[in-house]
Amino acid sequence: MVTRRFGYLILALFATLALALVACGDDGDGGDGDGGGTATEAAAGNKIADDQKPLVIARAMDTLNGDPHRAFCDTCQIYISAVYQTLVALDHDDNSTLIPRIATEWSASDDLKNWTFKLNPDAVFSDGTALTSADVKWSLERLANLKGSPSFFMDGVDSIDTTDEHTIVVHMAAADASFPAKMNAPYTAIINKALAEANGATGGDDAETTDAAEQWFLSASAGSGPYMMESFQEGDSLRLVRNENYWGPTPKAAIETVIIQEVADAVGQRQLLEEGAADIAMQIDPDTARGISNAGVVIQSVPSLNFVYVGFVVGTEGAVGSDIDLNQDVRQAIQAAIDYNGMIEVLLGGDGRKQATAIPNGFLGTANLPLPERDLEKARKLLASGGYPDGFEMDAPYWSTNVYGVDFNLMMQKVQADLTEINVRLNLQPLEASVIFADLSDNKVPFTAIYYAPDHPDTVQYPQYFAMIEGSRWSGRAGGNQGPIVSATQQDLYEKALLTDDLDERERLYDELGREMISDAYILPLANPNLILAYRSDLQGMHYSGCCNLELAELYRTTD
Amino acid sequence: MGTYIARRLALMPLLLLGVVTLVFVVSRTAAADPIASLVPERLLGNEEVVAAARARWGLDKSAPEQYAVYIKNLVQGDMGTSFRTKQPVGHDLAERLPATIELTVAALAIAAIVGIPAGIAAAIGRDSLVDHVVRLFSLIGSSLPVFWTGLILLYVFFVQLEVAPSPGRIDLRALPPDHITGLYTVDALLGGDFRQAGDALHHLMLPAFVLGWAVMGIIARMVRASMLDVLNQDYIRTARAKGLTGRQVVLTHALRNALIPTVTILGLSLAALLTGAVLTETIFSWPGLGSYAVESTRTLDLPAVMGVAILGGSMFVVANLVIDITYGLIDPRIRVS
Repeated sequence: MVTRRFGYLILALFATLALALVACGDDGDGGDGDGGGTATEAAAGNKIADDQKPLVIARAMDTLNGDPHRAFCDTCQIYISAVYQTLVALDHDDNSTLIPRIATEWSASDDLKNWTFKLNPDAVFSDGTALTSADVKWSLERLANLKGSPSFFMDGVDSIDTTDEHTIVVHMAAADASFPAKMNAPYTAIINKALAEANGATGGDDAETTDAAEQWFLSASAGSGPYMMESFQEGDSLRLVRNENYWGPTPKAAIETVIIQEVADAVGQRQLLEEGAADIAMQIDPDTARGISNAGVVIQSVPSLNFVYVGFVVGTEGAVGSDIDLNQDVRQAIQAAIDYNGMIEVLLGGDGRKQATAIPNGFLGTANLPLPERDLEKARKLLASGGYPDGFEMDAPYWSTNVYGVDFNLMMQKVQADLTEINVRLNLQPLEASVIFADLSDNKVPFTAIYYAPDHPDTVQYPQYFAMIEGSRWSGRAGGNQGPIVSATQQDLYEKALLTDDLDERERLYDELGREMISDAYILPLANPNLILAYRSDLQGMHYSGCCNLELAELYRTTD
Repeated sequence: MGTYIARRLALMPLLLLGVVTLVFVVSRTAAADPIASLVPERLLGNEEVVAAARARWGLDKSAPEQYAVYIKNLVQGDMGTSFRTKQPVGHDLAERLPATIELTVAALAIAAIVGIPAGIAAAIGRDSLVDHVVRLFSLIGSSLPVFWTGLILLYVFFVQLEVAPSPGRIDLRALPPDHITGLYTVDALLGGDFRQAGDALHHLMLPAFVLGWAVMGIIARMVRASMLDVLNQDYIRTARAKGLTGRQVVLTHALRNALIPTVTILGLSLAALLTGAVLTETIFSWPGLGSYAVESTRTLDLPAVMGVAILGGSMFVVANLVIDITYGLIDPRIRVS
């Protein structure tokens, strides 16, 4: 009898679980679950001006740092640009045009060494206090003095003066036509000095050792943006609440609460989106997107400014391939052997573009650059003239990651397969970030893959990172233990571009610099992946921003 | 017994020191540099930024110096600050632990409530249909990978049937209950919000079942085997000969002895799940210790890794102690010398 009674328990277990789930359920926000349709564009409707229903964004968050002057990550960009403001902003329809934000106007001295910013006298922080030139000066000095990850935005700044309550002058050591563009990066956010100082922040020369506000910035905010931090629980969620004291210059946010919810993978994000539990899924890859057939979900593929690339280090030791002379012919041979069209098909299902050099399509100077094409005959000839007619073997360690919808494992397998056509044999070594970047610093990596996203709308950031010029990251990295590689031609073009604010002239100089970078072939962009925007169809205002990824204050729901 | 417990507890710091030392040595010999977790790749070539980060996080000191500083701070109750979250490790663990405790306790409750009766039923009805069903169910539970079970059940109950809620501890759009214990179901009840308590329970059920099923299978099989062994003992035959009912024989005489190995499994499962429920936590977006441990290890967040190791070590020590004490309670013949 006992046996029989317990026996039914097991048989009924799954049914019980299902019933219990139903009984407990309060599916108030459940989705429509209306599969079977095709992705459609959002229907127009009446804007809900004061939307009390929280907006949920499903996203694998980076390591969020709430302090704008220490942060450096994609999620940080979204958060900071929602909560803080910068001196200048990007035009909604043009990722290369600067528009006023805290600053109403800006101008440079004739030698482009002194930049004057006039501040909007109406600007106030979320606690209602006025935003003045003292806050701006303190914020920019703190950014520099913390020596944190984004401190490089202040490179070249000699000093900052306040001429009155609403005017600041930034004095540069050398001419820099790109400085206003840098002031669009979210990390140059202006912080409420009094509030931050009251919570441990410092901005003086000793800020690196005296500032103690980093933890406070994970629980509160001190900005003038359309939202404020409500709470943050690492590994779970970030909640923002509308800033009711928002002064402008854009309209007040329509949605009262925004929640960025940690969801690790694209499949989980898709499930939440389709069920209506989330309004936006931020890291849907093209494969996952193609599987969505829900009439309540909009899928858009839009060009982005991100790219993935492979790069050479010519002076390495201890790796297979360290003894190979990775001269220009050899690098160009590999450049010509890669199947770029196939790469975009295999990696992105066609949702991407080829890119000429380490300056993404759309930036000043890229319009006329020649896009790469596969030419195996040319590759074999170059390999022979480079001294390796029979090919060679080389280690290719890389970060085993997935960014911008690109699976780096798949990408490097494709590169490996392409290069076997010219008998260059890659030993693929997928590694964790802490290992590959330590090895790169130790000059043990002859060939690897990385990615890049823009910090601001000026082309200058790319030569500063990729060109063979003094102080650039890849100038030092590419030379490895042989020391930095500096091209006099590239150095000259770069310096000239900084010296002029004539856009036509700068475009010509960047075009020329781009061609030099294509020719030296240290950096080979593999793809410029599109960004997949996946969101509920009642949501409007979705748009990819070059500075901020997603501008939360522009989002609103419609009644239809 | 009191002396025994005191002695075991006194040994605990030594054991934890061993754990800390071992983890410290292993992490320092890894062919990786934690600076890559502190400074974005783009800035690793910026010597000023890298030097500032090394100085700020104590990585500019030699390994023995770092170890000495860590132990000194640890003695004062400071487990350091996480490289990744920028919060004190103690704060992180305190924030993550309640979520894992809630999930693990619920999972073990399901496992015990279903697994023990199922094992008893299977033993009593050996080779019957019930026995076969229990064994099959147990085998499936303990054999299937948790990530697979989790994904499939989530797909069936959340996506297809729409009876399970979305992943997470409560409705994504809702505010969590006021923090009292950190256990959402308990905090909501204490706050008198029964709707929220129901929501938290609803969110807890599926991940707890997924996590509990694997343990349930082991428990059911263990109870079955133990019961079969006990039911063949002379004293059981004597009890039957005295005319006791089947229920009295099973529940009063057999079960207590059969539960001893089960208690071991339950105790060790509790300790293991508290630090190792990472797959379930990941699938169900459950912000607990498992996902914290894995993410910290992956990014070489040394203070966090050490903190998790200390917590995990403590849990195993305490779990073993509790198991030993429970043995004595279940079977008075077992006395700790």
